[in-house]
Amino acid sequence: MEKTMNKLIRIIGLAIVGLFSALLVANSVFANEVNVFSARHYDSDVQLYKKFTSKTGIKVNVVSGKDKALQKRIKEEGKDSKADIYITADAGRLGAFQAEGMFQKGASSAAIKKVVPANFRSPNWVGIAKRARIIYYNPKTVNPSWNMSYEDLADPKYKGRVVIRKSSNIYNQSLVASLIKNNGEKNTAAWAKGMVNNFARKPTGNDRAQILAVAAGEADWAVANTYYLALMLSGKKGAEQQAAAKKVMPFFPNQDGRGTHMNISGGGILKHAPNKANAVKLLEFLLTPEAQQHIVNNTFEYPMIPGVKANKLIAQFGLDFKQDLKTKVSNYGKLQAKALKVMNEAGW
Amino acid sequence: MIKRINFWVIFAFLVPLLVAIPIFTVFLSFFDATGNYLDLLTDTFLLKYLSNSFLILLGVLSLTFIFGVTSAYFVSFYKFPGVNFFKWALILSFAVPAYIYAYSLVAFFENYGTAFSILTFLFGEGDYNKNIPKFDGLIGSMFSISFSLFGYVYVLTRASFIFQSHNLIEVGKNLGLSSYESFFKIILPSARPAIVVGLSLVAMETLSDFGTVDFFSISTLTTAIYNAWISFDDLTTANQLSFILLFFILLLFVLENLSRKGAKYHQNSKGNKPIPKIQLVGGKSIFATCFCSILFFCSFIFPVSQMTYWTIKFPKYFQDINFWSLNINTLILVFLSSLFLITFSFMTNYGNRVSKNKIISYLSTFSVSGYALPGIILAVAFITFISWFSDLLSSIFGFNSFKNVFIGSIVGLVIAYFVRFFSLSYNGIKSGYSKINNSIDENAYLLGYSKFKTFTTIHLPYLRTNILLVGVLIALEIIKELPITLILRPFNFETFATKAYSYAAQDLLEAAAFPSLCLIIWASIFILFISKYILSEK
Repeated sequence: MEKTMNKLIRIIGLAIVGLFSALLVANSVFANEVNVFSARHYDSDVQLYKKFTSKTGIKVNVVSGKDKALQKRIKEEGKDSKADIYITADAGRLGAFQAEGMFQKGASSAAIKKVVPANFRSPNWVGIAKRARIIYYNPKTVNPSWNMSYEDLADPKYKGRVVIRKSSNIYNQSLVASLIKNNGEKNTAAWAKGMVNNFARKPTGNDRAQILAVAAGEADWAVANTYYLALMLSGKKGAEQQAAAKKVMPFFPNQDGRGTHMNISGGGILKHAPNKANAVKLLEFLLTPEAQQHIVNNTFEYPMIPGVKANKLIAQFGLDFKQDLKTKVSNYGKLQAKALKVMNEAGW
Repeated sequence: MIKRINFWVIFAFLVPLLVAIPIFTVFLSFFDATGNYLDLLTDTFLLKYLSNSFLILLGVLSLTFIFGVTSAYFVSFYKFPGVNFFKWALILSFAVPAYIYAYSLVAFFENYGTAFSILTFLFGEGDYNKNIPKFDGLIGSMFSISFSLFGYVYVLTRASFIFQSHNLIEVGKNLGLSSYESFFKIILPSARPAIVVGLSLVAMETLSDFGTVDFFSISTLTTAIYNAWISFDDLTTANQLSFILLFFILLLFVLENLSRKGAKYHQNSKGNKPIPKIQLVGGKSIFATCFCSILFFCSFIFPVSQMTYWTIKFPKYFQDINFWSLNINTLILVFLSSLFLITFSFMTNYGNRVSKNKIISYLSTFSVSGYALPGIILAVAFITFISWFSDLLSSIFGFNSFKNVFIGSIVGLVIAYFVRFFSLSYNGIKSGYSKINNSIDENAYLLGYSKFKTFTTIHLPYLRTNILLVGVLIALEIIKELPITLILRPFNFETFATKAYSYAAQDLLEAAAFPSLCLIIWASIFILFISKYILSEK
């Protein structure tokens, strides 16, 4: 009985060792590929990767998921990580990941530096597309003056007429981080309290739900990212929402000051990237006019490089608004925790 | 003389130990760096997180109890129009994961949502948004989770009603108890173990829910742990929060175990002939039919209709989906995981039964809390553990790193599922075992049966239905599972759940409809396939 058991254990042991070594060998076999960890979920990105493969012969492998969980996986895998590029929305996230030393230099290659403005890249990561976080209003009930600002939304005269999503949302955290950077923490705390007093309802839903609340007359003012309106206008959300979107006007705030709050989707090359050369090629490809055109037509973000026109659904609202290029997007990451604190203390 | 160590006992010891690893990891990995998240938390929202978790739990437990026990009672003891249909139709609610339910709920009731479209279609253009009720995220989470989980209570309670000793109820009748009295004095108390098991499953799933509360942006204990640990790298806080969560869960287990001990209801070998059903008439009959219809409509027809409506309205999203690979991926995961889970939990259960060892019994009770450890936390704990273990072995023995074998591979996914769903499978088989009278084992040993022979020739055939039931429950969980799959999956690997999630994340619930619908269809097929076993009345 014991002999048979021993034999059995040996066989199982050998099988496990065999399996492991086979897997390890399989892992180390060289392949012409690049591995992307992405917190952006767009199908259009995957179509873009296919274009890249047919051009260069480099296969693109993707894992998508929640931002922080993906970061954790990359960190724990350490030097065994197969991930080459990490892509996410929000500059704050990119900055925070950079601060942890997870990116290596090289994301902004010479070719990339030539086309991407300095504010939207660092040696460790580069923006792929831009979005603005703007104000929406109901033109039937209100009419903003040309120089209206984010700061103005806290004015008591808008009591009960403002909607915005929860403080846990990263876009809000970046917006408030930029306010802290420009106005200081104390003033921003007072502003947050004013905002909460002006809320038309408890924050609920995503950015699109805020725009719809203005369309439905629940509020006069909403704060949301630019591409959500275009998404509804495109008809991808059905005829009712297309019609609803037409009842709402976008407004680009802070035009006589620092400009409208901008944010990016972007990516960087990871510290232990096994296919660095291919990773650089993919990032460069994403910043070619062809790829940028594909991105802006599918996600309705703004292009990162000159010479590419935003989709007409978003371009119709004007492209020459003043962007806040003074507040470096790399600041967002540093101030997000403070921003969350300020909002929470205000009861946001 | 050292007593020869028994194969079964080793099993009963090792498997729960493996399953307990992530829980230990969660605690052990929290002893280094720390951030300032706690200051933030205690100042502002720790109480809010706790009360949100508690409110959701309370709401879900009440709703699932009412939905599950009432429908099980009607269906088991009475005849009314549609009873044979509702009997199996109600278990279809299992097919709809809470997060997909949440998608439907939001899409239907939002401004210019489906309800608005319907009203416009029926009555022409109008300003209907004001008249459409709006869901608070908290209420939305409660309903989404309850409708997708009440099936646990329904199935387990019903099984226990059906197998209830007929004699007991007869005795009650002879003593002159009304049907109301016999329900509260006989039927309900003797079904208590089943109800408590069902509710504790519901409670654990509720506490560990991430997909639904995340979609509604409701902050709960689980999202707080996620934020503290993963977003703020504040391990001390994450530790403290996990402790609170595990405390909740431990409480549930103690409760469950106590209630089992207080009620050792072995099935009597005689007297389980089917209970003759009573024909309901008049108002009572209408009430029973209405109750079951509304429950069936809300839990299944509503989300399925919403998803079907979108799938038909936005057919262009079909082309973006690699339909066959989604099917194959999902089924491979289901097959491998249920195979391992059932085999191992069987052996552990049997080991437990023969060893009667207190430590092993405690260990297996503790280990099953893998189910209550939120999937997203479990996945991260798994990654942390593998990474630590691999580094350890490399530094001591100079082994090659084996991180890639477990992280981002099917092997890793199956192991993580194993840890997560061991409780489900272990408890499912345990509940079957608790019906086999211990005296049967003892008689078998007296007749000279070995432990192995007792297991294969007596227990296995007796528990056949249980195995099927458990197998399908596991399959359903894995088809619906989201956070673990999302974090641990290999490159280019999608299941219906991850695909639906990724569309929802880009605010295209319309595109999420097709994968969601496929998920629901697969789950329904599994349910219908075994429904006759679940619903067997013999």
